[in-house]
This record gives sequence, C-alpha cells and structure tokens, in this order.
Amino acid sequence: MLRAAAAGALICVMSLASAADAAGDFDIGQLTQLLAQAKPGEATFTERRQVAMLDKPLESSGTLSFEPPDTFVRETLKPRRERLAVVGNTLTMSRDNRSRTLELDSSPEAAVVVEAIRGTLTGNRASLERHFSTAVSGSAEHWSLELTPLEARLREKVSSMKLSGEQSMVREVQVLMPDGDRSVMTIEPVGSAAR
Amino acid sequence: MPGPLVSLRALLIRRAPLIWLVLSLGAAVITARTTYVADLSAFLPSSPSAEQAVLLDQLRSGVGARLMLIGIEGGTPRQRSQASLELGRALRQSGAFDSVNNGDNAQYEAFGKFLFDHRYLLSPAVDAQRFSVEGLRNGIDDTVSLLGTPAGAVIKPLILRDPTGETVRMAEAMLPGAGPRSEGGVWVSRKAERAVLVATTHAEGSDLDGQQRAIDTVRRSFAPSAAQGLRLIVSGSGTFAVSSRTQIKSEVERLAIAGSIAIVALLLLAFGSLRALMTALLPVCSGVLAGIVVVSLGFGHVHGITLGFGTTLIGEAVDYAIYYLIQARTPAGQPGGAGARQWITQSWPTVRLGLWTSLCGFAALVFSGFPGLAQLGVFSIAGLTAAALSTRYVLPALAPDGAPGQGLRRQLGHATGWCAAALPRWRWPLLVLALAAIAVLALRPSPWRGDLSSLSPVGPAAMKLDADLRADLGASEAGTLVALSANDEAGALAAAEAVGQRLDRLVDAGALEGYESPARLLPSLATQRARQQALPDAAELQIRLQQATQDGPLHADKLAPFIADVQAARSQQPLTRAALRGTPLANVIDALLVAGDGTRPWRVLLSLHAGPKGIDEVRLRAALADLPNARVVDIGGELGALYARFLHEAEVQALFGALAVCVLLAWHLRSWRRLLHVAQPLAAAVLIVMAGLSLGGAALGILHLVGFLLVVAIGSNYALFFDYVRNVGSADNDTLASLTLANLTAVISFCLLAMSSIPALYAIGEVVAPGTLLCLILSAALIPNGRAGAGPYGKMP
Repeated sequence: MLRAAAAGALICVMSLASAADAAGDFDIGQLTQLLAQAKPGEATFTERRQVAMLDKPLESSGTLSFEPPDTFVRETLKPRRERLAVVGNTLTMSRDNRSRTLELDSSPEAAVVVEAIRGTLTGNRASLERHFSTAVSGSAEHWSLELTPLEARLREKVSSMKLSGEQSMVREVQVLMPDGDRSVMTIEPVGSAAR
Repeated sequence: MPGPLVSLRALLIRRAPLIWLVLSLGAAVITARTTYVADLSAFLPSSPSAEQAVLLDQLRSGVGARLMLIGIEGGTPRQRSQASLELGRALRQSGAFDSVNNGDNAQYEAFGKFLFDHRYLLSPAVDAQRFSVEGLRNGIDDTVSLLGTPAGAVIKPLILRDPTGETVRMAEAMLPGAGPRSEGGVWVSRKAERAVLVATTHAEGSDLDGQQRAIDTVRRSFAPSAAQGLRLIVSGSGTFAVSSRTQIKSEVERLAIAGSIAIVALLLLAFGSLRALMTALLPVCSGVLAGIVVVSLGFGHVHGITLGFGTTLIGEAVDYAIYYLIQARTPAGQPGGAGARQWITQSWPTVRLGLWTSLCGFAALVFSGFPGLAQLGVFSIAGLTAAALSTRYVLPALAPDGAPGQGLRRQLGHATGWCAAALPRWRWPLLVLALAAIAVLALRPSPWRGDLSSLSPVGPAAMKLDADLRADLGASEAGTLVALSANDEAGALAAAEAVGQRLDRLVDAGALEGYESPARLLPSLATQRARQQALPDAAELQIRLQQATQDGPLHADKLAPFIADVQAARSQQPLTRAALRGTPLANVIDALLVAGDGTRPWRVLLSLHAGPKGIDEVRLRAALADLPNARVVDIGGELGALYARFLHEAEVQALFGALAVCVLLAWHLRSWRRLLHVAQPLAAAVLIVMAGLSLGGAALGILHLVGFLLVVAIGSNYALFFDYVRNVGSADNDTLASLTLANLTAVISFCLLAMSSIPALYAIGEVVAPGTLLCLILSAALIPNGRAGAGPYGKMP
C-alpha cells in the first residue's frame, strides 16, 4: 500500500505533441508508422480532471517537451509549479524545493501511463502491444487510439487511455480510472512543432 | 631430583602406554563434541580500533550478515512470479526469517494501517507552518492534485482523513526511490530472466547452523517449483559462510584421506611391515587429537582452516616415528630394548631440538591478535608436542627394538648417500640461484599484496552471482558509514537527526547522493514531541481549515475525520523501537540502530550513497566536525587497513619466530660459524620459493607467511642433521633413508595441500612443499664438511 502510494504520488499524465508531414491510413501499423517520425517538440497543455468527490473539476496548464527517443518533460505552471521529467527509466518529480527520483520499472502503475504516451509519441508499436490491447479508429486526419492495459493488476489503476490526434500530432490524452474519474489533457503545439 | 619424584617419573614412563590410552580416549570424546566453524571473522583482530569495531560489528552480527539473496530462474515469467509469491509466503510462515521481500505488498496491509495511524508523528512535513492556513492550503492542493491520476486511487479513500498528504510524505521518506524492477507483482532482475527476493534470516550471521537451517527451509519451500523445472539461486554472506564450511569440511576430509593413503603407502614401501605402519601412525594420531583438543578447550571451537592445516601435521609428526623406528633397531646379538635405550640417549636430543625449533616458530603465532592465526599456532604446538612425546614415551614400550622390516630402505639409503655426497659439487650453482632469487625479489614489485578476500574459499563465479543479485535488488553493500554512539535510544536517534541535518546539506550541495538513517523511519522522541506540539486543537484547526479551503475543490465541511485524527494524534504515545517490534520496519531499523546493553552503548549506522561522483570525504568529515561522536568509516579502506595490519603483525611475529629459531640453534651449536652454515640453506630456500612465487604472479598473504615459517621450522631439522653428520657423528645407510623418507612424507602432505581448492590451504601448500624439498637439497649442498678425511656417509656405493 505504501509503495503504491509513493509511486502513485509521483505519477501524472504526460503527453506531447509532435508534427510531421506524412499521410497514413487508420490501422495501428499505419498509425505508428506515422507517429514514428516524431521530432523534438514543445507544446502547451491544459488539463481538466473530473473527480467525483471534489466540489469542482481540477484544472491545470503548462508546457510539454519531448526529445526522442525517451525524454519527456511536463512542466505545470498553473495553478502551481510542478515538474515531471522522464529520462529513460528514471522519473523525477520536483515541486516547491522537493525533488524525488524513481525508477520507472519499479512501479508498474507509474510506468503504464508513461509507456502509453511514450509508445504513442515514438510510434513504437511493439512496446504498445507489449503493454496494451490497442484499438484504432478514424483516419490519418483524425485518428484515435484506445489503449487498455493487458495486466489485470494495472487495469485496477487505469481502465483505459484514449489518445487522439491529427496526422503525427497528438492532440488529446484521456485517462479513465476504474472508479469513473477521468482526466482530459488537450495539447497545442508551439514553436517548431506548429509548422 | 628427590627420590619420590624419580620413582613417580619411572612409574609414569612405565605406564606411558596406559596414560596415552586414557588421554587419547578423553581426547576422542572432546574431539567428537567440538564445534567446527568456518567463518572468516576468526581471521579478524580481537583488539580492533574504533573504526574497525564498527566494521566487525557489521561483519559478525550486522543485518548485512543475515541477508539472504534469492533468485528464481527458468520457466516462463508467469511461472517465476507465481513461484516467487509462493516462496515468499512459505518463508514468511516458516518463522526462520525476520523479513521476506519480493515486491508482494500484501504483507504490508496491516502495517500500512499502523503507519497511517501514526502519520502525524512520522511525517517529516509536520510542523507549525504546515498547520497554518497557508500550510494547510498548500498541503491540500498538493494532495488533491494527485486525484484523477492512477495514483489517486490510493489517495482517494484516505483524503478526508489525510487531506494534507502526510501518508505520501511519510512513504517518500521511508521508501527508497530506486527499487527493484517489478513485473507481475513481484521483483525481477533488470538484466536477466530472473525473479528476485531478499530475506533476513532470524539466525545471526555467525550462527552457521542457523544459517544452514534457513537455507534448507528455502530449498524445501522451493521444492514444488523446482519440480516444474525452475531453478533456485541463494546467495549472501551467511550462505557463503555455510558453503565455505561445507567446502572446507569435505576438503579437509579429502585431504586427510589422501594424505593418509600416501603416507601409508610410503611407510609400507619403507618398512614392508604392517605392524611398523601402525606404530608409525600412533604419534600422528596423537598429534592431531591433541591439536584439536587444546584448540577446542582454549578457543571454544576449531576453525576449519586450522583443521585443514592440521592435516599437514601428519607429514611432520610421522617423521618422529620414522626416525624412531629406523634408528632404534636393536643390532643383532644385543638384548631386547637396547635399540630404544640407545635411541633415547643418542637421537632423542636431536629430535627434541628439532621440536624446540618448530615450537619457537609457532609460538610466534600464538601471541597473534587474530584468533584464527593463534589457533594455527596452538594447534601446531600441541600437535607436535604430543607427537614427539608419544614417540619418546609410548613407542619405546610398543616397539623397543624399532621396526623389523627393511622394505626398499637399503636402496633409498644408498641413493640418499650418493646424492648427499654429490650435492656439494652443486654448491655454487645453487648459491647463484639464491642470488638470482634476491635479484628477482629486489627488482619485481612486492608480491605481498594478498587481501582479506584471499582467505575466502568463495569462488569468483559465486561472487559474480552475488553481485548480480545485489544489483537486481539494489542491495549494494555499504561503502561508507557514519557511526554514532549514545547512551540510550532517544539519544541515538537525536544524534542521527543531528548528523542527518548536516548530511542533508551535503546532499543539497551535490557532495553526496543520499543516505539511510534510522531517524527517517523512527524520529527521535524530541522530534515526535515537537510534531505533536505543532498540531492545533480541534477548534483552532476548524477555523484555519475554513479559511484554507475557501474556493478550493475540497471543502472543510467534509474534513471532520481529519480534525478528529489530528486531535487524537496530539495525545498519542510516541513511537519507540519496541513499539515497532514485529513490523516490517523493525528490521530496517535494526540494521541502522544497534541496541546497547550494560557494556556497550547504543550505536547508529548511517550508510551513505556515493552516487557516480563518489563521496567527498574531506567535506564529509568537515561537515561532521562539530559532532565528536560521529565517526566516518570507509568500509573498503578499513578492511584493507585491517588486513594490512594483520599482515604486518604476522610479519613481525614471523621475524620473531625466525629469530627465536636462530637463538635456539646458536645455543645448541655454540658456534657462529656452524650457525651461519645451518641458516644459509634455510634462508636460500625461503628466498628461492618467494622469488618463484613472485615470478609466477602469486599474491602473497598471511598464510604464505605461515608457510615460510613452517619451511624454516621443518627445514632446520634437515640442516641440523647435515651439520651433525658433517661435524660430529656419522650416519649409516638407514639413517640417511629415514631422512629422505621424512622429507618425502612432508613434501607429499604439503603437495596435497597445494592441490586444495581452498585458497588458505593452497597458499600454505605451495610454499611448504617446494620449500622443504629445497631445504633438504640445499642443506646437503651448502653445509660444509667440518672434518678432513673419511666421508661421513659410511661406505659409498
């Protein structure tokens, strides 16, 4: 319980946008091929979480950056500053003047969300299919990818994740919790990724 | 000597065989009841420095010594995780382990509740600021921001009782960030197809029988999985000690059997008589028994290495019997027993001198500050004395006319005589060889660079596996410790907190990656009290909460359970080590906080994490300078220093031993010239062997040193012999044969030792086997003939 709490405390949903000029079709092979052309990029995000027991939804916003193959940073600017960075297998969370580092593979609950986003952003079909059952719908213009954890143990934490986007750009990440809570993060590319 | 004493002595001598029998029976009983140990702590000093005391504490009874690392290989990942879960459950139920961790957190559920109930005493975040309006708002924001993420599932049921997230802060402080990889609900290796577990045995690390039982429990519990084709790997220092003991035991048995067979064959060859053989073995058995008994009575147990070394005593003790049986033959026509009487007057003094020189050599070891080394000395002294005494007093009664058989002795005697006569011609080449040896030793780097691990029979493959499992589990062995002592538990924990504050600054400055402190898990009494005092009363908290939650997502009205819990915490009994007994935390705390007793203070060990940059020890010491109780202990460095001290001490003792041998020889020979001649071949033999080992790339250590001492002790017998025949008496064919025979038995038993797979025994063998052979050859070649005229060897063939 403790470990789960500690691990869980360090997780947050992260996502990133990227862009490339490729066209594709709408099965998982086509989609990951399209996504594999991801380039380093920056984006802003706004996130809205619905939690049954709270009086109102939680809203936050900040920036995201991604550098292939395995570095992600999510920096929350509002309502308060917080930084989450994943480099390879290491997850570092900083808030106020506290910082904590965690090995990602030692807490599968944390890893599941990271693998979903990392796998999608890098178009790593093998990695996605190792952890999730996948369902793709839509077209290259407007696709959506639904990921359901294969391990029953993990489905107790995350029922499913739904990523959707346009071309090689991820525009929205939804995470559904088994108790009905959900978070929706929408992504706006900036800088080079906005081309 | 007064009359009654003389007659008592005569009675004792007459009854010698009976006395011997009674003593032997008693010895056999003690031997059978003796405890045999094999842990290397016997080779650690008994009067350590303060830093070494910390180290020895850890090696002997630290939690590290009780750690068992377990791996499960083979099969599918699902099979392995299933096997890990089952093994974990079985081991937890067995009672042989204080803790079993494999990533299965089910065991912590009850304990999690306990911690949750004490969160306001344990969370490092609790202070007055935390419970101000601003602090409450921040805490609630922090916690609420976890909701709606996968982590939220864990926080959610607790949030109304713990809106500021003290559970999370407590968990962060207690749990290391760098855990093992987790897959299928259990810990797995990052590098290999392997599930991993780590357990702490209930038995002390030095309790080898307890360790053995714990290992057996693991194997038994794993049997169902093994039947499915899965493999079990067990490692850890207790496991090493047990397997070392097993290895030493079987090796000693093997050596004893092989040595006995070789010596028996040789004796049969020499005497061609079974009776002579049995007689010759008598002093050997007496010696070994006496050695075990005296060590057992003096030290409480016998070390396996002592025993292995003791088998070489067979080689030396049998010499006495050989000398006696050959030299005490009664010439034809003389009354029975004349041979024994003649041997006692003529030869016994030389044998006695040889015994004295050997004893001088070993006496040096007895005064060693290292119990293991002292054991070797005591064993050898008792063994040789018993062997010599039984030769002197028991053999004359059993075989008053020596041994009848002739075997191949005539040929052996002739060959020896011929060689002894021919060898002086090789004087110069052999001296050149000795000079070359000196040159080699002068030019090459010192071969004296063995380390403590060279005493351990654990092979490199087992060490590698251990290192792999440790890497999998993140259970690296401590590199640097900060050790503290205090009079009581509260003082120890307060001191740990004081050191912790200084270490935190080093961590922030990047001079240190992190550290483990018992105070993180169990704050000092003062700290817990301070936290309680920071908690506002219910009415005040209610008011502050109203303000803090205004416009927030979680309204104060819902937080009545929080107010009640805070209220309860204000009058909670602070936690102590005793209150945590039986919980998973107790083990972790025991590893870092060692309880004091009447004689020793409470001790705290904070182990430091170096990180990739290493530890800046100068800064570390400077940071702790104002805490006179805090001591920085670099384990690798201390172990090195320990062995260096060990080696140095042994060197000094060996020198004293050699000096004592020289004094004894000088006293006996009463001639500087003859002393020089006797010492020459011994010194040359030592130098040549040392140079040979240096050229062979061997790293010489403490046991090589013991070996050289043995070379001098045994070799001096040969040198004395040649000094005697070339200056005083003469030697007939049979006496020459006895010399060669004695040398062969020694060389054979030490050759067997040199083939041992146990480094400690191997080291002694590789020095003594060539050393004694060289001593014989060099003695024959270098000791000059002091008389003109007829050769000393009787008739030349």
